[in-house]
Amino acid sequence: MNARRKEELVGYLFLVPYLVLFIIFVIVPVLVSAWLSVVQLDLTNASKSAFIGAQNFTDALKDDFFWQATGATGRFALLMVPSVLVLGTAMALGMNRMAQGRDMVRALVYMPSMLNVAATGILWQWFFNNEFGLFNYTIRKAGGTPVPWLTDANMAMPSVVLMSLWWTVGGTSVVVLTALQQIPKMYFEAASLDGATGQHIFFRIMIPLLKPVLLFVFVTTTIASFQMFGQAAILTGGGPTFATRGVVQYMFETAFNGYRFGYGAAISWLLFAAILVFSSIQARVLKSQVEG
Amino acid sequence: MKRNPLPSMIMVLIGGLFVLPFLFMIFASFKREAEVLQPDQILPQTWDLANYEAVSRNSVEAPVGLWFVNSVFISSATTLLVICLSSLVAFALTRIRVRGAKFLLNMIVGTMMIPAQLFLIPLYVILSRMGLLDTPYALILPAAASGYGVFMLSQFMRNLPVAIEEAAMIDGCTLPEVFWKITLPLCGPSIATLAVFTFIGSWNDYITPLVFMESVTNYTLPVGIALFQSSYSTQYGLTIATSLLSTLPLLIMFLVFQKQIIESMTSSGLKD
Repeated sequence: MNARRKEELVGYLFLVPYLVLFIIFVIVPVLVSAWLSVVQLDLTNASKSAFIGAQNFTDALKDDFFWQATGATGRFALLMVPSVLVLGTAMALGMNRMAQGRDMVRALVYMPSMLNVAATGILWQWFFNNEFGLFNYTIRKAGGTPVPWLTDANMAMPSVVLMSLWWTVGGTSVVVLTALQQIPKMYFEAASLDGATGQHIFFRIMIPLLKPVLLFVFVTTTIASFQMFGQAAILTGGGPTFATRGVVQYMFETAFNGYRFGYGAAISWLLFAAILVFSSIQARVLKSQVEG
Repeated sequence: MKRNPLPSMIMVLIGGLFVLPFLFMIFASFKREAEVLQPDQILPQTWDLANYEAVSRNSVEAPVGLWFVNSVFISSATTLLVICLSSLVAFALTRIRVRGAKFLLNMIVGTMMIPAQLFLIPLYVILSRMGLLDTPYALILPAAASGYGVFMLSQFMRNLPVAIEEAAMIDGCTLPEVFWKITLPLCGPSIATLAVFTFIGSWNDYITPLVFMESVTNYTLPVGIALFQSSYSTQYGLTIATSLLSTLPLLIMFLVFQKQIIESMTSSGLKD
């Protein structure tokens, strides 16, 4: 056996433990999920499951609850993504201009990202409570009218977004800040020597140079918003009257409360399809990193 | 040029705003219930330990201590397994460059595009067949198959110079020795980053243990405290004290290593 063959053999031995897990817990599940989505599953006897083709998918597209959940997820994303982009960038610009204490502020705004979603939700449920919550308590003290944060169908989603912003926008601002600090100072110096105003510098130099990181934030925040589950599950349970029940929660409930695995699997493929548009943009970025 | 102090002041205020909920959380956990519900003062009148005593009773319906042990075990085991397996795979794919390495890496990275939620239902079926549902392995093994670690370490290892490894081979080192004594130590910082993010991800995971764990005694902290909240929803002091305990290890880790955690998060260019 020559040296190269021997090296390859060692390489394959290194691969085996991971590949076994990868096949069992990644490849097989994808195939099982595809299979589940096109059969009428018989939970007591899998061999009696009947092929029903695309019926689960067409059922989903005719299901009002599915569209309601899609609407809720869409509303969450529409509120969340622009807020994260604007607030995250604004906070990064603010931190970038700090004369001192930048590292401390950076740590403070990032700290909420360390919390698990259950702890975050429990804390904010207390803040949002109509009677005893901090927000309405403060509003009442100031003489205002209490806000039905989580109990009003129109208010509940903005409240979920507000909590999610506190939870995640610090991470975004830190990412944008790092990109800002990588812009060579001489660009700004040259521009101001040429008589550029602050506005010009911001829109003509900073924003174009930040485009890659803002695209990254846009894609990752959109994908994460499409997957929203824990925030609403803890804070509102998806209510009031399903106003905050997103696609993931609907999939979760059909599969694990209603035991409709095939239907749930079909919904998860529809979710994947929606995410794919955005993750293929991300993949192109990742790929250029892998091959670069 | 002297910098304008105004941005610093505004940003310190905003930083304070972000950290304020943590302070309310800490103070509420030491308050009596009546005080939590009538927050006339920010600080507790008397620093009351009743909430923590109630938590430490480790009752049958809310064994917080057990959940803590489960979380520590599952997160540590996942992290250890991810580091071992990913570094072996990255070495085989980028340093040994076995035949098919490019195909395998593309496939592993490609599966990262599939949202985690798609795996829940089929994994539930598979784990149930394997008899692993409601055991820690239902959380550890699928997490160890994640492509993230392989992707991250491959990216780092491919940029290492081959000269050191070649020199070691000429000096009679075997490949496993090169891996263990040369490549792995060079990857130290990357592995530390991977370890921190795997641990945080596993510790904070909510939907997976919610689906795969059935007995209350097998819950991890996030699922446990969510259950705890639904049964004691009227006792804010108590539920907030348990939430605080569920985040304490990560908060301590963050306060100690905050610079490294933030910098490695931004340099890896990836966040959840």
